[in-house]
Amino acid sequence: MSKTDNKKDVIIVGTGIAGSLIAKLLTDHVFDVEKGKMIHRADAKKSETIREISILMYEAGLEAGLELDSASSMTTYNEYMRTFYMQEAKVPNSPYPNLKQAPSPNVLDIEPIIPPFPDKKGYLVQFGPMPFASDAIRVGGGTTLHWLGTTPRMLPNDFRLTEKYGIEIDSPDSDQKTPINWPIDYNLLKPYYEMAEFEIGVSGDVSKQEYPISESMEQYYGDYVFPMEEIPQSYMDQKIIDGLTGTNVQLNFQTIPLLMVPSPQGRNSTPNPSYGKTRLIKAEALQSGYQLVLDRSEKEEYKALGAVWNPYMGERCEGNASCVPICPVQAKYNALKTLKKALYKMNDNENLQRNPYLEIKAQSVVYRLSVDENEAISKVHVRRYISKEKTDFVEEVIDTSDSIVILAANAFENPKILLNSKYTVIENGQKVEKIVANRSDQVGRNLMDHMVMLTWGLFPEPIYSYRGPGSTTNISSFRDGDFRSEFSAWISPLDNWGWSWPAFSPGSDVSEFLSEGLFGAALRDALTYRLSRQVLFHFEIEQLPNPNNRVTINDQYVDALGIPRPVVNYDLTDYEKRAMEQAKLASDQMFERLEIEDFTQYNASDNNTFVYNNVRYSYNGAGHIVGTHRMGFTPEDSVTNSYCKSWDHPNLYIVGAGNMTTLGTSNPTLTLSAFTIRSVESILTDLETQFKN
Amino acid sequence: MIIINKILNVDDYYFDVFMSISESLTGFSVNELQATGLAETYYTYILGHLDAATFVEFLTVSKNVFETSFTEDQLRNTIASEIMADPGMNDMAGKVVTMWYLGTWEGTYINDLSYKEGLVWNLMHAHPPGAKQPGFKSWSIKPVTTKS
Ligand SMILES: Cc1cc2nc3c(=O)[nH]c(=O)nc-3n(C[C@H](O)[C@H](O)[C@H](O)COP(=O)(O)OP(=O)(O)OC[C@H]3O[C@@H](n4cnc5c(N)ncnc54)[C@H](O)[C@@H]3O)c2cc1C
Ligand code: SF4
Repeated sequence: MSKTDNKKDVIIVGTGIAGSLIAKLLTDHVFDVEKGKMIHRADAKKSETIREISILMYEAGLEAGLELDSASSMTTYNEYMRTFYMQEAKVPNSPYPNLKQAPSPNVLDIEPIIPPFPDKKGYLVQFGPMPFASDAIRVGGGTTLHWLGTTPRMLPNDFRLTEKYGIEIDSPDSDQKTPINWPIDYNLLKPYYEMAEFEIGVSGDVSKQEYPISESMEQYYGDYVFPMEEIPQSYMDQKIIDGLTGTNVQLNFQTIPLLMVPSPQGRNSTPNPSYGKTRLIKAEALQSGYQLVLDRSEKEEYKALGAVWNPYMGERCEGNASCVPICPVQAKYNALKTLKKALYKMNDNENLQRNPYLEIKAQSVVYRLSVDENEAISKVHVRRYISKEKTDFVEEVIDTSDSIVILAANAFENPKILLNSKYTVIENGQKVEKIVANRSDQVGRNLMDHMVMLTWGLFPEPIYSYRGPGSTTNISSFRDGDFRSEFSAWISPLDNWGWSWPAFSPGSDVSEFLSEGLFGAALRDALTYRLSRQVLFHFEIEQLPNPNNRVTINDQYVDALGIPRPVVNYDLTDYEKRAMEQAKLASDQMFERLEIEDFTQYNASDNNTFVYNNVRYSYNGAGHIVGTHRMGFTPEDSVTNSYCKSWDHPNLYIVGAGNMTTLGTSNPTLTLSAFTIRSVESILTDLETQFKN
Repeated sequence: MIIINKILNVDDYYFDVFMSISESLTGFSVNELQATGLAETYYTYILGHLDAATFVEFLTVSKNVFETSFTEDQLRNTIASEIMADPGMNDMAGKVVTMWYLGTWEGTYINDLSYKEGLVWNLMHAHPPGAKQPGFKSWSIKPVTTKS
């Protein structure tokens, strides 16, 4: 076992967007010893009275994925591209290394579960009864390497489902009901949304956003524009918008007008001249603590940031249409861009220089935390595997009693590490067994995802799908409304990539027509007709927190390094099933109006399928792994406070989509970025205290 | 045996038979097929991955189809009866078409170029995702390859 002695101020586990944002913001700040305050690097005078914040990041993925100098990062990324070209099933994880030492959930491993036997085929051990249907990837930069990049903010009512719609959920193992309001609201998060949109580089048109909310758009966005102009909507979108604008959908109890909205997204378009100069996210010292602001004093214009190996590549989205699983030019945001800004800082000569205060250790799988008598996290336990091929590893322990520990390993891994961290304390002369950060018994619970019901068909004229980013328009009408006391809200993105998701087109169309005996011109014509008319509608349905939908661990199930695998119990309730029924009603009406020939098929053999009111529905995962270390009001109702700080330990933060109290109808990453950025205010305050002692 | 030696040679007559039958089966002209840059790669790939006798039989049947058809209609009918209606030949024909359309043979890409050169993307006036990107905003108008 090796012990790392050189002390670090901060340990971050995971280089995904959550971990990278924190690394970037912390490395942008230094401690002014004279003033006893944290200040932004840009305001630091050249002097000896500055103390740097030293940071160590652990990343489970391969070393190569974290070498971010131009030559290495281009080589590694090209290797991902080559793998992508060669993979038969181009699923989200397909371009990236599939590591036995740090396995990832993969959609190809999902299969129906026959209780009581779990599905153990992949990395997850799934007890169901419904399989959890989403994946993530353990690679430098994390899952944003294969995210789509859609970045809507949450809506004000998403933060107060109990207050607004009277929804309460079960408490763990009791009949008591728990409210599910967030400890923060939309207005509080708004400035941090702007910071997240700056850091991710969001393209969109504020003036075209339309949501079914009671607040005006001036209240919702304020006097604001996104950093970049709107990503053009697809030709297909236009045809669908032409057919649906101004019409309504009739749900069981309500008539709902259709709002067709261009989606804000984290991919590069043209910088918006009204956004003007670039910004700095700066901490301003308050009486006690800090507040981050989006400082406008920079002189340089805002620029789109392209590939990590060459910022002039990918300055605009080029329409590769492969955002999931990989953008060849990195016009789409991924967390390596933020990580690179943490790793390289401008020196006095305005050259980029490797930041010596940030160290990243790759191939390092964190699996346990230890706690000292003050309930501080005293050690982080790591298994570092030595090569891509072998499962040999070195055991490493780092002392963290005087450091801040930040778990940013995603909503499966964070709870898994916590549940694997048991400790004993003496309370009233009695030995008591505890689990790190788990006073509330909420660690690992409330696992959520959007259930993606897909409907597909043929448009009456060619709409030429399979072009452009995955989705450029969404129907926002069902994102909020009184119906939420009865069933889930949902968002409906229009999908630009034909039937590739539900039906494996175009391969399936080729085999279908071949099996009908078509060849030559007849085959060509049939395929041209079919493939240029394919449309796909999405219904991303909000799932409520449910304490029994959870990640646990079990000694029986460990990975190749002997580390527990996530054991998942998961199911839907009538609240979500009913929403799918209503969404299908909406789909049918829209298809009819557009004269779309419906090809939707849900089969009993689908992985995620159920019958509700005698009708079968099937759905997919959205990749939105959420809720397993929720934030809340008290140590009893939640794992962290609103700054993502554990209630139970003075030096532990847990960040990522796991903090989300509820899911809402937005893709989660912009929101998790906003509150992760906000958590830095609390981390800086803790560091100030630490540095003064 | 003599024939097997012959088909191994891409300069040979059998290679032309392969290209001609590919043209008739895919509906893409020999020139369009050649433009993928993969014709010889595909031909030799099949040779390497198939029991030679099966390929020889397929090429021989194809050769006969061409020798006995004098009009387009005849050719189409003969392919339908001699190839598409015969289980073994039909299977080969399907594999050959799939190779040209998708770049795969029995589910595997032949190389990283074969994915990009799949002809199916041309049919839908698109491009293989992740390659041959058409540029910013191109997706918001009708494809330039369509007539209107
Ligand atoms: C197909 C797909 C499409 C998506 N599209 C969108 C979208 O359009 N919009 C949106 O908002 N969201 C989208 N998402 C969700 C989005 O990708 C995630 O919300 C986001 O990436 C989560 O960020 P994170 O930093 O919390 O976790 P991750 O990005 O998963 O990063 C976690 C990091 O921790 C590392 N790690 C894990 N375990 C350990 C360990 N034990 N020790 C050390 N390191 C560890 C991992 O290797 C990884 O680098 C999508 C997801 C998928 C799968
Ligand atoms: S459409 Fe292409 S260039 Fe644009 S973000 Fe997606 S993959 Fe990248």
